[in-house]
Amino acid sequence: MWRYLDGPHARPFAVLAACIMLLALVDGDNGRFLSAATAYSTLQTFATISLVTLGLGLTMMIREFDLSVVGMYGMAGCIAVLTGTHYPWFGLWFALAVGLIAGIVQGFIIVRLHLASVGVTLGGLLVFIGIAFVLTESRSLPYDNLGVALLLNERVGGIFSIRGIVALVFFAGAAAIFAWTRLGRDIIAIGSDRRAAMTTGVKVDTLIIGIFAFSGLCAALSGVLLSYSLASASPAGLSDVIAPAAAGAILGGVSLGGGSGRPLGIAAGALTLAVLRSGLNAVGAPPFVNDITMGAVLLTVAVLDGPYLARRLIEARRWARRALGA
Amino acid sequence: MTERSTAGADSAGSVAADPLRARFDRARVFSWAQTIGIVVLLAIIFATPGFLAGPSILSLLTTVSFIGCVAIGMTLITISGNIMSFALGATVGVTAMVFILAVNWLGFGPGLVVGLLIGSLLTGLQGLLIGWVRANPIIVSIAALALIYGVTQAFTEKGTIYADPGTVPASVKGKIAGIPIEFIVFLLSAVVAQLILSATRFGRNLFMVGSSFRAAEAVGVSTWRTVTGAYLWAGFFTSLAGIMLAIRYDSANMDYGVAYDYDAIAAVLVGGTAIGGGQGSALRTLAGAMVIASVQVMLLLQGLRQEWQYLAAGLIVLAVIILQARGSGR
Amino acid sequence: MQEVLSVRGVSKAYPGVTALEDVSLSLRPGEIRAICGENGAGKSTFVKILMGIVQPDSGSIDINGQTQVVRGPQQAQSMGLGLVAQELSLAPHLSILDNIWLGSAEVPFLHRRASFRVRAKQALETLGLTDWDLDRPVSSLTVGQRQLIEIARLLARDARVLILDEPTATLSDADIERILGILKGLRTQGRSIIYITHRLGEVFELCDSITVLRNGQHVATQPVSETTREGLVEMMLGRSFEDMYPKAPAHADQSVRVVVEGLDVPGTLNKFSMTAPRGRIVCIAGQIGSGANMVTRALAGLVPSATGSVTVDGRPMRLGSVPHAVARNVLFVSDDRAAEGLFPQMTVLDNLIATRLDASARMGVLSWPALRRMAASLAERVGVDRHRLKSQSIALSGGNQQKLLFGRALASADAGVLLMNEPTRGIDVGARAEIYRIMRELCDLGSTLIMTSSDLEEVVGIADIVITLYRGNVVARYEDEAIAMSSILADITHPTQAVA
Repeated sequence: MWRYLDGPHARPFAVLAACIMLLALVDGDNGRFLSAATAYSTLQTFATISLVTLGLGLTMMIREFDLSVVGMYGMAGCIAVLTGTHYPWFGLWFALAVGLIAGIVQGFIIVRLHLASVGVTLGGLLVFIGIAFVLTESRSLPYDNLGVALLLNERVGGIFSIRGIVALVFFAGAAAIFAWTRLGRDIIAIGSDRRAAMTTGVKVDTLIIGIFAFSGLCAALSGVLLSYSLASASPAGLSDVIAPAAAGAILGGVSLGGGSGRPLGIAAGALTLAVLRSGLNAVGAPPFVNDITMGAVLLTVAVLDGPYLARRLIEARRWARRALGA
Repeated sequence: MTERSTAGADSAGSVAADPLRARFDRARVFSWAQTIGIVVLLAIIFATPGFLAGPSILSLLTTVSFIGCVAIGMTLITISGNIMSFALGATVGVTAMVFILAVNWLGFGPGLVVGLLIGSLLTGLQGLLIGWVRANPIIVSIAALALIYGVTQAFTEKGTIYADPGTVPASVKGKIAGIPIEFIVFLLSAVVAQLILSATRFGRNLFMVGSSFRAAEAVGVSTWRTVTGAYLWAGFFTSLAGIMLAIRYDSANMDYGVAYDYDAIAAVLVGGTAIGGGQGSALRTLAGAMVIASVQVMLLLQGLRQEWQYLAAGLIVLAVIILQARGSGR
Repeated sequence: MQEVLSVRGVSKAYPGVTALEDVSLSLRPGEIRAICGENGAGKSTFVKILMGIVQPDSGSIDINGQTQVVRGPQQAQSMGLGLVAQELSLAPHLSILDNIWLGSAEVPFLHRRASFRVRAKQALETLGLTDWDLDRPVSSLTVGQRQLIEIARLLARDARVLILDEPTATLSDADIERILGILKGLRTQGRSIIYITHRLGEVFELCDSITVLRNGQHVATQPVSETTREGLVEMMLGRSFEDMYPKAPAHADQSVRVVVEGLDVPGTLNKFSMTAPRGRIVCIAGQIGSGANMVTRALAGLVPSATGSVTVDGRPMRLGSVPHAVARNVLFVSDDRAAEGLFPQMTVLDNLIATRLDASARMGVLSWPALRRMAASLAERVGVDRHRLKSQSIALSGGNQQKLLFGRALASADAGVLLMNEPTRGIDVGARAEIYRIMRELCDLGSTLIMTSSDLEEVVGIADIVITLYRGNVVARYEDEAIAMSSILADITHPTQAVA
């Protein structure tokens, strides 16, 4: 396990630690930040965004981009609330199956027709949103099984909730797969150099479809858990998830060039966002600070990852020298 | 060439002998089929009873104009090879807010200028980052989305701001010859954008950069200026939508542009602009926006609830993306 | 001795082209066989059939005396065949160990088994790499070291027949020597090697026997000891190579047009200087990594870190800006048509006029009638069918695409300076002769051509002036009759004289 904590894979954890320390400093000895309540709300936020981040992050790792997670997140919640009032398990399984199948179908289209995943999943996204609107008739649906909502948010061990534990279990599973199985290694190979993976005999197409299926599943699961725990679902209200998911994945060490990033790193990335959100809230910062922080982080990473950055800096230096010399 | 394309089916046998040839002809056939499809669809829609009756057509023309202007801007981004932007919807909201503030403070004319400037510059700045260091366009636009929402929240406590009475002249709210002014602006935007694309040096550069960034660089196109220009224009057309919304409702709200990004890219793709860049036209986007809007109105007239419009739009986009792949023979 | 591999009468046709026709080959244990042939001779199709990537239309493959049907790379591996392809197939983000076992059917789902580590270690030791850390990521290795990992991968999987497709194309001399040494060592272990290369020197140094393919057909198989260099070239080309290259009378006006002084590109090129006269073809010869292609790229303005002074027709030219170079009438034809040359979805017309837009634009507004006329005349000059002006450029053949790029580079009425890297890469023999003809015509019109090529025959055949480079330094300059393959080859592989 230590192998994953040195070198470039350590960056997400370092950022996480830095954020925690910074917030603790800002808070001083008020005790608002380093408290069980903040820890609980951090993990609740983590539960809300982390699974979508994991799914999207894995697609980014193989140099694809699953836009449809946004739509699936909302649609799965609506499906579960509609079908799961009396049998919550049925609603859950049904929504998960829909997420899985939708992911497989999208992956299949991408692989078979050699299409850009952004285009296909954009289509998927619009279709899922459409279905969600049709199913709910454009209304916000209440979920009458309040027992489930309470159960999901109930505190376990002071700071955990069932919802948070489910997310953590998923991450643990994904991390184990990446550390010990050829599946994880093959996925990294696809992101690192797809042609190389193909020529050495990795089943690239199957794995790509699998990743999109997993991404659909993750998005559906987080949608269901959130809708159950809020005791309501609405087709429009859940759609503000793409920004945190992308930010979390990038903070988690997933590079836009593919190949880098690991599940534990993505967990750290999502946790960083959750800490920032709850922490800023706890120390009394207004809500917009959170948006601005997230945007600034994303923008910085996008620029630093820009393939022409080095070249432009050389050009700028040359230009400056000429301007000074002239 | 035309005869061959329209008679695509029977010439298929002879074409198959040469695979390169076949691919090329298939793309042509597809492009023609799509154009014919759009025309036929529009004909069916206009033949639907009640469609041309006053209220529905007028409300259609107005609503399609807002999204349409954003879609025209999106077209330039897509052609430049940068897929799409997620920040145009937010830009609509910001422009509307800034416009109302500026109108209240400086009057209508200066307000117009300030509104157009702010939208163009916000989007152009993203283009600068994308073109200059080749930052990932999707991530940059998501970042811009978060930043725009964050910053506007910081400055506006209450959600909606209103124009002071009498600041917006009534003449810009009406109709010209029975056609809503918004729609005329949309049409003009499409024509202007099309002229930029096909008749100017910048337009050619844009296609070249979208088709192959490195080849454009090697023939001496200033790639970062071209990409920045595409985003500047995209911002310009987007801010037109924001300003028109603000004028229409005498108020502004950050929710004005919500989900416009998705509707706009849907119009772009249905029109036939390739998601990979280097191909497309603003007039096609105009047609695409009209098709989506018309389908939505037709569904309404058929008695289906509004929700079905969203689903229909999604299915159309998905179908077009898949068909396009088949058409280009990939 | 029993043959380890025997291919009999293999044919493969694609729609419109016959890639391979009735080709046979047999290989003894411990034999190193060179396969030579021009681009398009069928070498890569042959390799694909051996590895099961492509199924032959007819013919059979025997491995160790048994007829086999190879259905895919994994199955080929299990039969003892292993391929090192032209492009590396390593995942840089994974460790050496993971890369050695990547894609292997043997590896179980839970893949961290000690036995695989041991076998990988042994494979590296066979290659003399005893001190390499298996957990080191491949991204930290040099290209030469990565090539060794590819070979270690085949050894770890116990390949009896190693197929190497141009393994030295991107390597430095030291790395090439190391690899050739290792391959000789493998021969003594009884492993057989199929060695595909364009470098005739390696054929004569390493291989036991040669099979020559031409236009998909088997031309000859004979021991290296009975083959001469000239004979081999003639077998590959099907004619003596002098016919290909038109030797034109020297241009009347040979005034110097391009003067380069002290051109530096950090890490690749060191104080490069040269002059190029009007109406002549200057070829900068050097191996990959010598910096030859950096000269043309830097002159084209594509290398931001380049420094030095350049004058064109007496006027100074700024480095690092393509638009500036284009304004000086210095134009670049890339060797990478797909990525850096064509605008694939755009029409032939759009592609031809790409560098001429400024000339026909007033205040940024284009004049289409003028552009159309221009495209038509350009198409005629480079020999592209005028009726294809409206076709997508991607639909043209490789040779026609290259002509298109030439047409684009004829930017204005007065003859310019053309920079070309590998002008005939991936172009078949027929189109090649026509490209050379166009190059000559351009010279007659007063253009100056500066080109690079790693194909020595081409260098000797087409160039009027040759400048040899070794590791970023100029070795020598030859003109006209002084151009000889032996001295160029000596210069670019081992410098005969030191020039600062």
